[in-house]
Amino acid sequence: MASVLLDQVVKTYPGGFTAVKGVSFAVPDGGFCVLVGPSGCGKSTLLRMIAGLEAISDGAVSIGDRVVNKVEPMDRDIAMVFQNYALYPHMSVYDNMAYGLRNLKTPEPEILARVGEAAKILELNDEMLKRKPRQLSGGQRQRVAMGRAIVRKPAVFLFDEPLSNLDAKLRVQMRIEIRKLQRRLKTTSIYVTHDQLEAMTLADMLVVMNAGRVEQVGAPLELYERPASVFVAGFLGSPPMNFLDGVIEKPGLVRLSDGGELAYDHAHFGPPLGAEVKAGVRPERVTFARDGAGLPFTLELVEELGLGQLAHGRLAGADFTVALPAAHNAPSGEAQHLAIPLDAVHLFDRKTGARL
Amino acid sequence: MVENRPFGNALAHFILIAGVIVIVFPVYMAFVASTWDAATIANGKLGLVPGPHLVENYTRILFEGTGGTTRAHVATMLLNSTISAVIIAVGKIAISLISAYAIVYFRFPFRMAAFWLIFLTLMFPVEVRIYPTYKIVADLGLLDTYTGLSVPLIASATATLLFRQFFMTVPDELLEAAKIDAAGPIRFFKDVLLPLSRTNIAALFVILFIYGWNQYLWPLLITTRDDMQTIVIGIKKIVAVQDALTEWQLAMATAVLAMLPPVLVVVLMQKLFVKGLVETEK
Repeated sequence: MASVLLDQVVKTYPGGFTAVKGVSFAVPDGGFCVLVGPSGCGKSTLLRMIAGLEAISDGAVSIGDRVVNKVEPMDRDIAMVFQNYALYPHMSVYDNMAYGLRNLKTPEPEILARVGEAAKILELNDEMLKRKPRQLSGGQRQRVAMGRAIVRKPAVFLFDEPLSNLDAKLRVQMRIEIRKLQRRLKTTSIYVTHDQLEAMTLADMLVVMNAGRVEQVGAPLELYERPASVFVAGFLGSPPMNFLDGVIEKPGLVRLSDGGELAYDHAHFGPPLGAEVKAGVRPERVTFARDGAGLPFTLELVEELGLGQLAHGRLAGADFTVALPAAHNAPSGEAQHLAIPLDAVHLFDRKTGARL
Repeated sequence: MVENRPFGNALAHFILIAGVIVIVFPVYMAFVASTWDAATIANGKLGLVPGPHLVENYTRILFEGTGGTTRAHVATMLLNSTISAVIIAVGKIAISLISAYAIVYFRFPFRMAAFWLIFLTLMFPVEVRIYPTYKIVADLGLLDTYTGLSVPLIASATATLLFRQFFMTVPDELLEAAKIDAAGPIRFFKDVLLPLSRTNIAALFVILFIYGWNQYLWPLLITTRDDMQTIVIGIKKIVAVQDALTEWQLAMATAVLAMLPPVLVVVLMQKLFVKGLVETEK
């Protein structure tokens, strides 16, 4: 058990490319931290630096109370689950899980006990333990990879996009299992993914990264409801948030580019008059206005999801999506009006992307 | 693809059988010749059926030797050839594995220079560097020794390159997983890389054993004593006799015996050999 502390961590490659540009955050003991961001944002690099697989160019990584910048991976008291599982193909499942313990000179009876325990947690039966990894399905291999991490009883689990090689159904199932497992073992975990849904569901603590920097750190719902930037707002949530360009005309009113009026809660946002803003609205917070009031919306396409419907169209010259619950039927006809509640509107600076 | 083409199948079989006959017939004739006496062969009366002298000829060649320029018997030659071929094959594999491991997995100064140096030696076969090699071996007093027969042939760029290519296909994550599993460089090599290279090693062993077995020029140069001769040289010496008839039946018996160990190696390692050439176990 240990907390993980990152202090102004920088990674510069020999070619001069800086992949991680000064990242700081702290994962509390027993916390489940998810690093999320688009490909190339530096999240995997950061995880590999915590694991000790990449050198740290500047700053400090601490596990527990110990700065581990110069500590070998095997001495950092971590275990890692890789994207392609990285199981030793020539060893049986049992040997795969036992290998690390054997290298640490753990007595054989204890190895047997620990592997047995892990196998029970992961529902791997004795017959499976004798097989080679290539005789297992993707989901089973993923379990073995996690088993290999569990038997070590490390202070920190590191997951590098462990579910991205699985099919969609299995991904959801394994996601739930990982969460249950972490609750049960209470081991500090850091998990990297590019899938915002995985990130939202797994995390106690979400770190959104973009271009080598941290955009925002916080609880998933907090980030969802109060995104600190256009990037976070657009990245979290599916379908993503809609954005409309406008100018602040008076407190509580945005004049949209097509002349429409969008009201916002000026108790929460205090932009100066005349500021150029991006107004963000989550698709599920919008409803169709039946009485002809509200903002004019051109309906172009309705997607049926079963769970609900997505109505795609144009509003004030921008693409706009409305998410409707299952009970609602999308109205027919192109010309529609949308009702946008006051508290559904987020305002961001159009130039910097920061929340106002 | 399942197809039923009787004519195509018959043709394919015909071509393959014809190929087998072309290859096997001379070998069969060598065997037949080794079962007659010298007079029958010399008179050109050799037929297609084996003769009555099989046991006699083979016992004589194996344990007594001939009256030719070599007095060593073939059993000794077989032993010499086997020992040097095995040392060459095992030595080449061991050295190549280690050097490929160094080149692929370690960052050291002049790593690429080392790689290109090894690569360059590909362009200098034994024949080209034969004088300096001979000089060194002679100065070290290694003439007429197994060391002299095998060591100069061991340094091998081909095998190093082959293992380098193979190691580069091993996913980096395996190394990283091993690092986290507290396996140092030697453990990783022994527990992960070696078992993964198993089929490659087997395939190389077959190729290199035959390479070592078939060496002619080098053993010819550095062995002078009859009891250090390899069998390939033995055949030549049995054929070349002065002031007498060549005992062809004995030369043929030696040739047949010389063929057996490589055939045995191929047969025994066939499964792994084919796997090593076509399959990647990862």
